[in-house]
Amino acid sequence: MQFQKEVEILAPREKVWKFIWDVDRFIACVPGCKEAKTLEDGKKYSAIIVEKVGPFKVEFPTTIEVLEREELSHIKAQASGADNKIGSRMKIDLDVNLREQDNKTVVSFIAGVDILGKLAALGHGIIKRKADQVLDEFAQAVKKKLEGEA
Amino acid sequence: MAKAMSRRSDAQSIPVSFTLNGRLQEIDVEPHELLLDVVREKFGLTGVKRSCDVQVCGACTLLVDGRPVSACTTLAFEVRGRSVLTIEGLADGDKLHPLQQAFIEHGGFQCGFCTPGMILASKALLDENPNPTEDELKHFMHGNLCRCTGYKKIIESIMAAAKKMRSKT
Amino acid sequence: MLKRFRLEEPESIAEVSELLGRFGDSSKVYAGGTELLLAMKEGLVDYERLINVKKLKGLNEVNAANGTIKIGALCTHHQLECSTALKEKLPSLVKLEQNVANVRVRQAGTIGGNLCFAEPHADPGTLLIALGATLVAEKSSAKREIAAADFFVDAYETSLAADEVLTEIRIPAPTANSHSAYLKFGYLERPSVGVAIAFEQSDKSLRNVRIAVGCAGPAPRRVEEAEALLEGKSTAEAQRNLAQAGAIAGRASEAISDLHGSQDYKEHIVGVLLKRAFQSAIS
Repeated sequence: MQFQKEVEILAPREKVWKFIWDVDRFIACVPGCKEAKTLEDGKKYSAIIVEKVGPFKVEFPTTIEVLEREELSHIKAQASGADNKIGSRMKIDLDVNLREQDNKTVVSFIAGVDILGKLAALGHGIIKRKADQVLDEFAQAVKKKLEGEA
Repeated sequence: MAKAMSRRSDAQSIPVSFTLNGRLQEIDVEPHELLLDVVREKFGLTGVKRSCDVQVCGACTLLVDGRPVSACTTLAFEVRGRSVLTIEGLADGDKLHPLQQAFIEHGGFQCGFCTPGMILASKALLDENPNPTEDELKHFMHGNLCRCTGYKKIIESIMAAAKKMRSKT
Repeated sequence: MLKRFRLEEPESIAEVSELLGRFGDSSKVYAGGTELLLAMKEGLVDYERLINVKKLKGLNEVNAANGTIKIGALCTHHQLECSTALKEKLPSLVKLEQNVANVRVRQAGTIGGNLCFAEPHADPGTLLIALGATLVAEKSSAKREIAAADFFVDAYETSLAADEVLTEIRIPAPTANSHSAYLKFGYLERPSVGVAIAFEQSDKSLRNVRIAVGCAGPAPRRVEEAEALLEGKSTAEAQRNLAQAGAIAGRASEAISDLHGSQDYKEHIVGVLLKRAFQSAIS
């Protein structure tokens, strides 16, 4: 599943970039994300992602690896996790780009999301909808956090 | 499988008194035990099959109080106070039920895997509607799948049995 | 093989509420189990306790005596397809119930369970919305009525509170001029698209038109925008507006591309079914 999102933030690029690497606060913007930890500064992080669709709950202990980094403009990362209780695996390939536009920062990201295992039984359509919702909420939360502190 | 499971001392035990193929049985089951497993494992009646395990194919059809249920998705304790009929209970000693006889005479089965479910379901149909039209038969039997016969012979068998059963009464 | 759970068998709504409140997410109401047990077998959900509600009295009756039709939440689909009262007053619902899943699911599955599990690919919700039904939710000492159109929040999600139990479905008494129809389409075990229409038909015009679509999207939805194209119109004019109403209803269905079909395909089928449901209801 591919998703493309763009969010305009009323904050300078440096501030947005700094925020991204402030792991605790940044990961806190992911709905359902908890216990964010830095394993290797700038390279490896961990978190637990909990999501719910009706009565179906998944808890993915996730490892996030930063693959590429271009100061102030680009991040490529991969997140993967497995919920052994439900027998499902999750993998997200994330491509984040920052650019300045007037006095705003435009954060655009492309997310390739793969869900394997039992969870897929819920139906591709439902999962896609949920993933879309989560990404939207995430983008909005980042925006709010950054703009709120101006 | 139920036998192999160790009973924990804190396991909840539900007494189930029911008739199985006409005989009174009194057993204890745990809430999570499925009727399919109890009938197959505890009573050794393996005519009922686990096939799709999601209530779609009908190979696990049993009759509870004369009505078809998916044994794969029925908790065993639900038959307390009820009567359960399996394919093994259909014949009268050596005398086959007209449905069984008809399935043989009309070629209503090939591998036989769906057959116990087919016959029990068709018994429930004919008990409710002794003279079904082909459409009524197909509607009732919609949830019993067969991969071998193409259904034509099954329909013929049931219609033939129905005719025979009507002429007897 | 299911995982072990504890069975509770309360005999009052208050008890059920109390158990749900006390044990929260680790407990679940269990009636026919036709959806719940499948999810449990798949390992998609896990409960320490199942609360068997089948010992609650008075929840499995159909009462059509005085106007409003009242259907107990514990009525099985089989009971509903056989109900003489419903055959007389709501043949469209009887036809729907006759065609739910298969004979074994109809035997065990309850209408309340069907509505509460809120599987997107289900039938009754769509027609109940078109019939203007209300759903009665109870807990300990409180009771409230929820319009069917407001009951289905999202896939597998209803507006029931965690400690509420659905006890009854109420449908406004149909009049001599009431017409309704539900049509579904699908090749898989569960329906892929469902459309319901209801209206009062007098000599001159159609009134109180209600249209609902289900199965294609995450939850059944009422489509007021499509209704407006038929409301107050003559049969002939309504007929001319059907294509447009169908297109609107298709988009309103929030159709999701999946194994059942692409979004475009489902939207198209919604339009087709609306036309046919209208013809079926009119005649």
